[in-house]
Amino acid sequence: MSVDVFVLFGMGAIIGFLSGMFGVGGGFLMTPLLIFYNIPPAVAVATGANQIIASSFSGALAHFKRGTLDLKLGIMLLLGGIVGSVMGVYLFAALRDAGQLDLTISILYVVFLGTIGLLMLIESLNAIRKTRGQTEPRKALPRNRNWISALPFKMRFHRSQLYLSVIPVLGLGMLVGILASIMGVGGGFVMVPAMIYLLRVPTNVVIGTSLFQIMFVSIFTTIAQASTNHTVDIVLAVILMVGGVIGAQFGAQAGRKLKGEQLRALLAIIVLAVCLRIGWGLIAHPDELYSLSVMGSF
Amino acid sequence: MRPFVFIAILFTTLFASALQVSGQVQTNIQIGLSSDVVEITSSFDGTSTVIFGSIENGNRELLKEGRYDVVVILIGPKVRTIVRRRERKFGIWLNGSSLSFADVPSSYSVATTRPLNDIAQSSEIKMLEIGLDNLNGVSVTSGFMFKKTETFRKSLQRLKVKQNLYLENIGGIEFLSPTLFKAKLTVPANVPIGKHTARAFLFRDGKFISSKFTEMRVKKIGFEQYTYDLANRNGLLYGIIAVLVAIATGWIASLVFRKD
Repeated sequence: MSVDVFVLFGMGAIIGFLSGMFGVGGGFLMTPLLIFYNIPPAVAVATGANQIIASSFSGALAHFKRGTLDLKLGIMLLLGGIVGSVMGVYLFAALRDAGQLDLTISILYVVFLGTIGLLMLIESLNAIRKTRGQTEPRKALPRNRNWISALPFKMRFHRSQLYLSVIPVLGLGMLVGILASIMGVGGGFVMVPAMIYLLRVPTNVVIGTSLFQIMFVSIFTTIAQASTNHTVDIVLAVILMVGGVIGAQFGAQAGRKLKGEQLRALLAIIVLAVCLRIGWGLIAHPDELYSLSVMGSF
Repeated sequence: MRPFVFIAILFTTLFASALQVSGQVQTNIQIGLSSDVVEITSSFDGTSTVIFGSIENGNRELLKEGRYDVVVILIGPKVRTIVRRRERKFGIWLNGSSLSFADVPSSYSVATTRPLNDIAQSSEIKMLEIGLDNLNGVSVTSGFMFKKTETFRKSLQRLKVKQNLYLENIGGIEFLSPTLFKAKLTVPANVPIGKHTARAFLFRDGKFISSKFTEMRVKKIGFEQYTYDLANRNGLLYGIIAVLVAIATGWIASLVFRKD
């Protein structure tokens, strides 16, 4: 595997710039970009988890200091996340042995990026149209009247002012844990909307709490991947991290100059472009039909 | 029966002593590596290794006429290798049938004095497993037809050549004197770590007469070796270090770019 340190650093910086600008983790862009750059998908995914720790740590720390973090909710999500991560790491190994890991990663990316990208694009275009017309009064979210309120094993979360069943909390955490280990993402793009729309968590604690969970799930996933599949590459991760944190600073400055809905529309277009690129890889006739894998290593 | 056995023994003895009288000692080949360890650093970009050798007790006339041929091979650690073929299903390309080969040399670099089919009969070359076409990793997936197995074997070879791991250097052996030769073998940038074997084969007039082998180690050194060993032997510790490094980076970043 021969790669250029400066290219990797640049990739880290670009993804960092985007994540700073849009306020997202960027794992869902980083892993595909690494794969496009011919890093083996297994290494890209595991190293992605390692890199996410750095970007989520400073964010989670800031939210913790400001008190915009529901620790109890975060821990419950984390418990689910660890279970999901363990499942994911074993699934990862099984898929790799069966030779279907790369395919699974690609399909998951197409499905998730396609769905999220489309939803975000529709939502932001609507928002842009509305701001051009008259400003409608925002509809308040219906209070706790969905199927989730009917579930048992309820628990009180003071910080979020919620009385909620632990089942969807653990379930959501678990889903994100699986995604972390198979896709090399933090999972914020699934977690944040799910917390807002399904669990009805107040928006001021959503980001801090999800960052808390993402950080610890990434820590757990990194250790699990390193000890089970030996696919974490510290050197690669550090190059990406350093590029990422620097890029994020400039991204955050650039982000302040754009309107929220414009930012979301732009991000949606980037997400859809990556989705189409991966999707094309699945349906286009491959140049090389055969591939080799050596038992026990890469 | 008895007289026949006696005659047979008599003939053998006579024949053997006749050989000794004419000074015919076993002709053989000797080799030595320029270095028996190849060290991989982070800037390693491939190298070449020189193998020196000599033909001992060769026939003077034949040596002068250059009727001896030499083949030198550097073989990487043998590993089980899976060959997969992508097939189109439900409109997408996914890994379909696969075939597992046991004992596939992870790298294979061969240097010869002449093209292999000029050196000896192809059956002899095949028996000695010399040359890319004669590498016979045993297929271990059962139920495969011979033809399909051969297709997969060919693909394995083709991909290894494409990855620069299988190399053939016809004419890569240079005679410095009638008995002394030098083989230059390429060690690619992605050379597998581990114990490699150098083999030398001596042929005379199209007949195999002697072979020798020696070992060469390829290892990572310095930081490369340290991280490689740690990642593979103590993954847990490696993971913990990876986490600490990431936290430190995140923490330093939040100090450097503090928004006050």
